[in-house]
Amino acid sequence: MEMVFIAAAIIIGLGALATGIGFGLLGGKLLESTARQPEMANQLQTKTFIMAGLLDAVPMIGVGIAMYLIFVVAG
Amino acid sequence: MNSNRSRIIRLPLARWFAIEFSAIVILSLLWSLESRLAGYSAFVGGLIFIVPNAYFAHRMFRFQGAQSARLMVGTMFRAESTKIALTAVFFAAVFILMEPVHVPALLFTFAVMVVMSGVLRFFIRPQPRR
Repeated sequence: MEMVFIAAAIIIGLGALATGIGFGLLGGKLLESTARQPEMANQLQTKTFIMAGLLDAVPMIGVGIAMYLIFVVAG
Repeated sequence: MNSNRSRIIRLPLARWFAIEFSAIVILSLLWSLESRLAGYSAFVGGLIFIVPNAYFAHRMFRFQGAQSARLMVGTMFRAESTKIALTAVFFAAVFILMEPVHVPALLFTFAVMVVMSGVLRFFIRPQPRR
């Protein structure tokens, strides 16, 4: 039973780690690009929004599966 | 040219939600062919995706322009973490409170909505504000 909780923790933890790294890079590039070309700020924000959606797709599914493991399989 | 680039933009949230909500209804109807519980679970799975995503889209475009770039990035980080937390809370609430739940329908609809939202972002772009 403890293995289920460990599996859920690994799913959520690795997902959060990868999303954190990805969003850090994305936000850093947004700041850098906006400083380089301020007139493009709105277009860059739109592109960041699109990339953010693609970036958090897998961790969102991982969160769902982890909650299933915790509350249905282990519960 | 530059004035077009730097124009304030708005997100067509109503059109976006209409498309996503229609997709949820269609998927729920398809799942309800199997059983009524599966259709209901599919609808709930879609709602679990839509509500945190709407919050994220709303917060993401709160600040615009080069002068508020730092606020923009900070808001994006907060909105993303809140979105993942809201998703986890909604899943936990459904698994605890909804006693008979069709898990494949719930997770399948959620996964389809996640993929569809990524594709939809390429087609529904934010519009220049009039």
